[in-house]
Amino acid sequence: MPASPFRDLTNLGGRALDRVGELTDRMLDGNLRIGVTGLRRSGKTVLTTALIDNLLHADRLPFLDVVATGRFIAARMEPQPDQAVPRFDFESQMERLTAPDPRWPNNTKVTSQARVALRYMPGTLLRRRLRGASRLTLDIVDYPGEWLLDLPLLDRTYAEWSRETLELSRRPPRDRLAAEWLAYLSNRDPAGPAEEAVARRAAELYTTYLLACRASDQLLSLIQPGRFVEPGELVGAPVLAFCPLLEPPARAGRHTLWAMMEERFEAYKTNVVRRFFSEHFARLDRQIVLVDVLGALNAGPAALADMRTSLSATLESFSHGRSSWLDRLLGGRIDRVLFAATKADHIPSNQHANLRRLLDGLVEERRNAIRFEGARVETMAIAALKCTETVMAEHQGRQLACVRGIPLGRTEPTVLYPGEIPDDHRLLDQDGARRLNFLNFRPPALTARQGRGLPNIRLDQALEFLIGDFLT
Amino acid sequence: MTGRTRQTDYVQPIELDPNGTVVVVPEERTNGAVTAGTSLAAETPDPVPAPRRWAVRLLVGSAAALFALVVGYDTVDLVRRAFETSVMLGGGAVALAGGAVLGGFGLLAGELRSLRRLRRIDGLREDAEHLRTAGGHGEAERYAGAVASLYGDRRDLAEQVATLKDNLNDAHDDREVVRMVDLQLLQDIDRRAYQLVLRASRDTAIATALSPAALLDVMIVLWRNLKLVREVATLYGARPGYVGGLKLLRRMLANIAVAGVAEGGNDMVVEALGSTLAASLSSRVGQGVINGLLTARVGLTAMHLCRPLAYDETNRPSLKRIRRELLSVPKQVL
Repeated sequence: MPASPFRDLTNLGGRALDRVGELTDRMLDGNLRIGVTGLRRSGKTVLTTALIDNLLHADRLPFLDVVATGRFIAARMEPQPDQAVPRFDFESQMERLTAPDPRWPNNTKVTSQARVALRYMPGTLLRRRLRGASRLTLDIVDYPGEWLLDLPLLDRTYAEWSRETLELSRRPPRDRLAAEWLAYLSNRDPAGPAEEAVARRAAELYTTYLLACRASDQLLSLIQPGRFVEPGELVGAPVLAFCPLLEPPARAGRHTLWAMMEERFEAYKTNVVRRFFSEHFARLDRQIVLVDVLGALNAGPAALADMRTSLSATLESFSHGRSSWLDRLLGGRIDRVLFAATKADHIPSNQHANLRRLLDGLVEERRNAIRFEGARVETMAIAALKCTETVMAEHQGRQLACVRGIPLGRTEPTVLYPGEIPDDHRLLDQDGARRLNFLNFRPPALTARQGRGLPNIRLDQALEFLIGDFLT
Repeated sequence: MTGRTRQTDYVQPIELDPNGTVVVVPEERTNGAVTAGTSLAAETPDPVPAPRRWAVRLLVGSAAALFALVVGYDTVDLVRRAFETSVMLGGGAVALAGGAVLGGFGLLAGELRSLRRLRRIDGLREDAEHLRTAGGHGEAERYAGAVASLYGDRRDLAEQVATLKDNLNDAHDDREVVRMVDLQLLQDIDRRAYQLVLRASRDTAIATALSPAALLDVMIVLWRNLKLVREVATLYGARPGYVGGLKLLRRMLANIAVAGVAEGGNDMVVEALGSTLAASLSSRVGQGVINGLLTARVGLTAMHLCRPLAYDETNRPSLKRIRRELLSVPKQVL
């Protein structure tokens, strides 16, 4: 059922007013909204923290032109523009990461926003004469990665979505996890009367199935709808009491289970997904897509395929393209997209090139589509927080490039040879022979003591690509 | 790469004992004996193959040998006669001759060393080119170490060398290391070299414009150019001796001839236009501007030849600013 047109109109009016305020902001000073997109556990929170910390210290960014040429003056955090959104808790994240006993951040449960203001000297003489020290503000949003997967729902009907989801749940490795829910569904008639208790029970079982998917070591990413596993402020709301159903043979009447579920699905799309999207993603200027390639490799080919589908579906929702200054003013399009393979420090650095190429192949289709729209695209292997170092070790008379670091849950450093990753995903073994083994490493202890920003891999180049042209 | 790993020498992922394994830290070779320095001539082929002038070589070689023979013979003769006169005088003559020989050898050694330094820089540049095109990993540490050691004892660059060493870590691949060397160390030197060139070309321009005699111009330009080349080379760590300086200058003249063509019509037109404009103001001042431009060319070429890393398209020093500066010379002089 569509939302009332009047609500849309008032929304539009409100948004237009917001836009006017923002316009003046943009006219006076540079302002960029960076969309950190990534599925869950791809490292959005750590990346946001590392980005802010490194910008504040500006001491580990040799390839960021504004820093390299000595034009960078200083950066600081500022109150973000949206009053209603919580502030990104940068300080406590830093504290966790840099404690004597450092830990990775927990699951992100709500959206939060951070704004960093940079002050720098323009590079060209003319601009320096014209305006002296300039200013650029960056807005970064952090949110649960689960919610990102809601975006593809926007252009699907309930029937389509039900069909796809059911089909997926009957295939391994999901079929095991979905058994209970599927059994419950098979005893219910979607064309039968709408009973709240049935709907609740079905949604409950479906949620259990999704949670099991999330918890499985297969690292399944395609978990829809995201709010079921990470409800945020919607705990127990009726809008979350639906699930995919078997399509009834005939068109279902008004007060059937199917109709009720469909109505809720549409409400979910309008009130939850669309709102989330328009609040945080509709006006992005630059986008960085984090992909945990290594995690998926570790979990096997199924996880990799799953991740590929999820990513591709998610990215369709964004509007990319070359943006003129007018577009920029109106916040229209994303004109630079960076695909980043995260956690690059978990493999020896001589394999970074392969990791990059592997990611290149994985996102090839999407990348070409975005490039076709006119936006610039780049791929990199990065690590927001470098936990290991690459060492050469001798093993059975051969020199192997290994990583040295402290794995999670241990206290002593180890030297790991994780195997060599191929440069193309088609070369991955289908037979399940474990040729690759990545350990998860702990953040290095007491990194803040050096007072120069979190150690990272290629964060400077990522920044240069994302915001470098605004710092000239 | 992948095919190889999958077939023959595949190693199962393994966790090694950090205490038991030999952890090999990539050694940083500080004595920059990089690849055997190929000779300069081989690296920069002459634009026009020179005709084999063996006759000239024979003439010069024989004459030099003859000269050395004559001097040696005369010296021995002189010493013998001095001894005949008195032992004291003979001893003095021997001491003087010894001093002269020693000094000669010292000079020669110095020149050879300076030539070797030049060759070392050439080797470095070649290495960097190789690293940049190959784009591998782990090879560039040696290069960075060699460049850092080249500037290691320079107090004015201590800070840059320190930042460079600080910023490089095991995660950077070869291309990144080379870029980092460029960014953190060489661009700073570039800026200073550019200032030197700018100053020298302004000097020549003004001196030529003001000098009363044509012969004096030539002297000034020659002297200033040679000085500039040596200054720039020293800044880049080449510290050429006399022979090295001359050699550089010679290579430079060959390069300038080529560079003039290669730099494209744009420059030529602007230069020609600028110089005719200046010439119409005053032929003296016009000559000054032309001489200044020549000096700038020499200086920029010296920068190209003495840098341990070739310029890429983005950071190539340009004549533009110098030209603008020079075109203001008429205003300053008149």
